[in-house]
Amino acid sequence: MMQQSSLDSSAQTARVLSPQSQQRDGALRTGSLSARGVTKQFGAVVALDQVSLDLCPGEVHGLIGPNGSGKTTLLNLLSGYYQPTSGAIQLRGEELAQASVRRRAQLGVARTFQKPRLLGTLSVLDNVVLGAWTHVEPGFLPTALGLPRMARADRVLLDQAAELLHGVGLSHAIDRRANLLEHAEQRFLEIARGLAMRPGFILLDEPAGGLSNDEIEHLGGIIQTIRDAGIGVLLVEHHTDFVFRVCDRVTTLDIGRMICHGRPQDVRHDPEVIRVYLGA
Amino acid sequence: MLMVIVSGLAIGALFAATALSYNVMYSTSKVLSVTTGHIAMLGGVFGAYAISALGQPWWLGLIAAILVGGLFGWLTDLIAIRRVLARSDEHLWLLSTLAMATMVQQAVGLWWGTEPKPFPRLIPQDFSAGIGDQKFWLPIALAGLMAIGLEFFYRRTMYGKLFLAMSEDAFAARARGVSTDRIRVASYVIAGALGGLAGFAAGQLTFAYFALGLTLTLNGFIALAVGGLGSNLGALIGGLTLGLLNTFASYLFGGEYQQTIAVGLLMVVLLVKPEGLLGAQQVRPV
Amino acid sequence: MNSRNRLLWIVTLALVAISLPFWSSDQYQVHLAALICCYWVLIAGLNLVVGYSGQLSIGHVGLLSIGAYAFAILSGKWGLPAFASVALAGALCGLCGLLLGLPSLRLPGFYFAMATMAFALIVGEFALAQGSLTGGGVGLPVPAFPAPFDTPVGFYYLTVIGAALASVLTWNVARQMYGRGLIAIRDNPVTAQAVGVPVFRAKLTTFVFSGIAAGVGGALFGSLQSYITPDTFHFELSLFFFVCIIIGGRGSIVGPFLGVAVLTALPELVAPLAKLGNFFYGLLLLLVVLVVPEGIGRVFELIAQRLRPRSGVSVPVAPDLPRLAKAIASIQALK
Repeated sequence: MMQQSSLDSSAQTARVLSPQSQQRDGALRTGSLSARGVTKQFGAVVALDQVSLDLCPGEVHGLIGPNGSGKTTLLNLLSGYYQPTSGAIQLRGEELAQASVRRRAQLGVARTFQKPRLLGTLSVLDNVVLGAWTHVEPGFLPTALGLPRMARADRVLLDQAAELLHGVGLSHAIDRRANLLEHAEQRFLEIARGLAMRPGFILLDEPAGGLSNDEIEHLGGIIQTIRDAGIGVLLVEHHTDFVFRVCDRVTTLDIGRMICHGRPQDVRHDPEVIRVYLGA
Repeated sequence: MLMVIVSGLAIGALFAATALSYNVMYSTSKVLSVTTGHIAMLGGVFGAYAISALGQPWWLGLIAAILVGGLFGWLTDLIAIRRVLARSDEHLWLLSTLAMATMVQQAVGLWWGTEPKPFPRLIPQDFSAGIGDQKFWLPIALAGLMAIGLEFFYRRTMYGKLFLAMSEDAFAARARGVSTDRIRVASYVIAGALGGLAGFAAGQLTFAYFALGLTLTLNGFIALAVGGLGSNLGALIGGLTLGLLNTFASYLFGGEYQQTIAVGLLMVVLLVKPEGLLGAQQVRPV
Repeated sequence: MNSRNRLLWIVTLALVAISLPFWSSDQYQVHLAALICCYWVLIAGLNLVVGYSGQLSIGHVGLLSIGAYAFAILSGKWGLPAFASVALAGALCGLCGLLLGLPSLRLPGFYFAMATMAFALIVGEFALAQGSLTGGGVGLPVPAFPAPFDTPVGFYYLTVIGAALASVLTWNVARQMYGRGLIAIRDNPVTAQAVGVPVFRAKLTTFVFSGIAAGVGGALFGSLQSYITPDTFHFELSLFFFVCIIIGGRGSIVGPFLGVAVLTALPELVAPLAKLGNFFYGLLLLLVVLVVPEGIGRVFELIAQRLRPRSGVSVPVAPDLPRLAKAIASIQALK
């Protein structure tokens, strides 16, 4: 209850454009991955100033803003690479700020990277199935001894990883070495790997970067499929058209502050947002 | 007792000089080269060769040591660094410099022999000179000159300032038109020349010995890590501390555990202050 | 390589190994083969550390030394049964691996390499200085194993068993999830963290295992030499192990095995190389790093790729959304 009112008060200054949808989502918010009044400073530089964001399960939440607005910083705070200077990061009400990146992976927070991070010498399939590490939590000794249950678990996970790859459209590349992939294929591979983590939330860091229009269409379909499966998707992006098409809610940042928040159709016509983008 | 101190400072000066060489190469390439200790070894060996075997005067031996050192520095950059830095794999330069270090050590061992050979007297002096023996104050004087010279170079000369700029932010330096490749090559040549000179000066202390390289790489590195990566003053302090610790430990407990004691010093310092005594925080070499 | 091919290779190798004493021309070749197996026990473990988790340890000769001396002292001086001594030697070296790895594995690459090198030199100092225990510079005799392993051929078979065991254990780790995690630690630690791999714990566990392997390998090695001194464990041996792995190729079990077999046998077969000794290993390492950093195994792969007909057409990405939805659902169903 307290958290909800603090969100509303910061929202008043940040101009929430769709209060009806907010009330409806109130119930969902308790199961969400949230940033509450988060500030992040690097020395004297304030990268984020009192920003709040709720990523609810089963919704696509867009995060847009000009360069330097703090989008990636917020994503890094949610995924555990940074600690907030003040404010809270919460998962389903539980405080998360002290949780390591690895712990968040175990709790079901997956992410992709602005520049795809792959293991080039491994096959595409191996790259994806690595995402399932937290399901197995393999020990050295059982693995070395070749216990049958380890091999069985591996086979099941490999099959699932292959299915994910078919699903995202990389059937033709399953056994290829990952460093031979085209750029779009790398991006889709990262998404498949994130899905292999059985996430409750997946944070996408500019996944449309470098993609052709067709590939962006495919990406949109994949994102909506992920959303329909009940996973919360955070979409940090520069392609604002794409964001408005695909997202259920959009948050706009500018110089570390949240300036606007609401449904896409409302945000895109907001005069502040237009000023920030045209003026930038 | 005084002998223990003086000999400690002398060997410590050689460690400090090696640490200074590390710093010079690290500042422009962010690489810690395994060959650093071998530069001094080459200076000592070729100095001895020029003077004893070829019968040349001492100053010619000095020039030979500097030239060989500089040449080896240049070769290190050419062979082990240049191509490797272009790739993104961070481990490769460790392997390439390790390979070069092994090759040069074995090659010198094959040519010069595996026994330590005496280094000739540079200035006529009695062997009973005790603590005033040149084998002590030559390296000490040299290390001091090196440190002062580098300070002067960095603060007062244009070229030195380019070095500093590049070590702060190589990307920005390149954007301003600085030829970072040429500066890096120059830094390796300079580090080589200085290392060769240090090996020459300390030759009477260490003897001309092919296996000196590896232990000097390690001890010079310990001096560097204790003093703090990137700090020249730290290199001096670290080196002299290590040298004194070595000789005092030998004096008190016998000389069998030199390496153990050196590492012990390192561990104590790293536990208290991981970036070294004068090191910049969060300077993480890879 | 598919599993049928692999099985064929393994069977062939096993037959060659088992039949070796019968077709080799002299006793020395059997000795050499046993030496390769002893080295391989250590290198198989070190391979997981260097080739898979990417930690550049150049000090494993120190662990070999501790293993050999421990075996010599336990079995020779104190009269414990041979196999118990081997087990204890392995355990002791595993402990040393733990003590060395705990502080060092958190350090960046060069610092870690220097720490391992210092470790090797320190072990050498102790071996020389602790004369009452280790015999100092004079060294120690190392006892043989009980029958039927007390003959050269019998001992050779013992080392083959050891080598086979090391191969199976490390191959299991390499091909399953744990191995993928190690490769992630090597090539992209950020990714490893992001998918939940416990980076430090995995590095340490692997390092401890390599210690145990080195201890067992050391015990066998010592017994093969039948007499050890501190000079037996010169630092260049560490470099040799390391080079076998890098040249054979990181991320492979077969590569380093071929590496150790070839590099051990080569100086015996090509006499001038024996004189060059470590210069040759250094040169080989340099060439591999500059030209084929992924090891010589990769060269064969690349050649095979050239020979295979390439489909030059790039296939566009075409998602199958219903299939994706089903895949996600089936993953979510597993609990």
